[in-house]
Amino acid sequence: MNLEPRVPTPEDFPGPSHSPLVAARLGLWLGVAFGLCFVTGLLSHFIQHPPGWFTWPTRPVNLYRVTQGVHVLSGIAAVPLLLGKLWSVYPRLFVRPPLRQPIRLTAHVLERVSVLVLVCAAFFELVTGLFNVAQSYPWGFFFPTAHYAVAWLVVGALLLHVAVKLPVARAALRTPLRRQQDGGEAATTGRDGRDSSERRVFLRTSAGVAGVAVLATAGVTVPWLRRVSPLAWRSASGPQGVPINRTAAAARIAVPPDWRLEIIWPGGRGTLSLAELTALPQRTAELPIACVEGWSASASWTGVPVVQLLRRLGAPTDRPVRITSLETDGLYAASTLPAAHAGDPLTLLALRINGEELSPDHGYPCRLIAPSRPGVLQTKWVARLEVLR
Amino acid sequence: MRTVRLLLLALGATAATYGGWLLLPQLGATLPWLIAGPLLHDVLVAPLVGLVGLVLGRLVTDRPRRAWITAGLLASATLLLIAVPLLWRPPSAPPNPGLPDRNYPLGLAAGLTVVWAVVAVALVVGTVGRRVRDRRVSRP
Ligand code: HEM
Repeated sequence: MNLEPRVPTPEDFPGPSHSPLVAARLGLWLGVAFGLCFVTGLLSHFIQHPPGWFTWPTRPVNLYRVTQGVHVLSGIAAVPLLLGKLWSVYPRLFVRPPLRQPIRLTAHVLERVSVLVLVCAAFFELVTGLFNVAQSYPWGFFFPTAHYAVAWLVVGALLLHVAVKLPVARAALRTPLRRQQDGGEAATTGRDGRDSSERRVFLRTSAGVAGVAVLATAGVTVPWLRRVSPLAWRSASGPQGVPINRTAAAARIAVPPDWRLEIIWPGGRGTLSLAELTALPQRTAELPIACVEGWSASASWTGVPVVQLLRRLGAPTDRPVRITSLETDGLYAASTLPAAHAGDPLTLLALRINGEELSPDHGYPCRLIAPSRPGVLQTKWVARLEVLR
Repeated sequence: MRTVRLLLLALGATAATYGGWLLLPQLGATLPWLIAGPLLHDVLVAPLVGLVGLVLGRLVTDRPRRAWITAGLLASATLLLIAVPLLWRPPSAPPNPGLPDRNYPLGLAAGLTVVWAVVAVALVVGTVGRRVRDRRVSRP
């Protein structure tokens, strides 16, 4: 045995899980996990910054809750899968570049760079995502834009990676893990049998650990797992039965004693006091608060449907509505209800939650609650509705 | 296959370029966080995993047992990683009194306990099962 300290070569790793048979399968699962993250993340981005062609349905009321839950949970599942994949391909880090062949060297360097981008970006997305759900920001960049930009890096580098590895991956995925012996019987003994069994154990363990990770956190959004998930970052309880992201104190809210809701539309204006709002016909609906952080909880909300309020005042009901809060600064002091949501009878200006008057932290005197929307757009402490053109 | 690969190549290069362009204004601030992942993994995590694997291979020679213990270690490491942002909160987070509303150290401890309880049960069941099988074989 050569005990001189030296940089290892791929041959120094004889373990059977260092094989394309394992790397391709884990890669496929990772591709699915990151693919789900990308699609659901893109949807969430478009809901918050809608391009002209984009529309998002108001039904089922839990739709955003489901897509964002899938987003964070497939990210969680990707953590052990990524580590397993990198362990499987770790020896390839030590492949020596073909220094004497310029063309092959160029291809090698390009591939290395694309793989480096892929791994950097994949880790970045998982790490920043995990910190974001804990609402902890130990960095100097703005999380939403950075996470969004790097998502495109992951997907681009992933497609490049698949383009490069496609022949190896196809051959590997077509080769069954259970090696067939000459007689057609599966090998169970000997070196082949041991290797194939070790590979299956490695893959099964990776999948199992991904399952454990999901189970340990899924309670943030899956009601029947609330009591099961020890690492769910949020419980479903809080003041009046629902947790709070931003308190009235943090938002520096002072409700003026003569508070009146202002409603503006092209060619008209009206105001209502809280007493007048309370006197209007009320509707009660079971709707979720579904945070971009994947956490969600349902509550029973009572209030005036926005569409009825507009109709009563004679304002148009088929247009987007801008909702402005008493909050003066902050990113989420205002939101725009798309026309589909503004016209939905379940979109409420809520005055009560779970049978009680809204507490200041829940948005007293009134807050917006609409079906199938991210929590950050459910504006609290509403001061003004403005029907847009 | 050639066409598919070329198509993937073109799509991938376009998407990655778009991502890079979006990231440009924040590149300076994000760069350390981008590089840290592979750097920590390649020089620290992977060698450590290899070392633990070698030691475990010496200590536990029975394959099924080793597989369960490995699974326990990997599940524990994953739970620990997921818990890091919950346990380690630098004060840079905006003040928000309603936030940390669960006992995370307790949750982590509970998760690890369950993982190792399952591993222990699997080891015991495996040992008992093997004894029963051995006895059957030796007493035909
Ligand atoms: C985020 C997802 C992924 C990451 C981070 C990742 C990472 C890596 C890395 C770092 C390597 C070693 C590169 C080298 O050969 O020098 C590799 C190899 C490989 N990957 Fe991926 N990969 C991912 C997804 C995929 C997908 C979707 C597939 C296709 C099914 C795949 C199939 C392969 C194959 C076949 C190899 C070669 C293994 C070998 O030659 O031993 N990977 N991957």
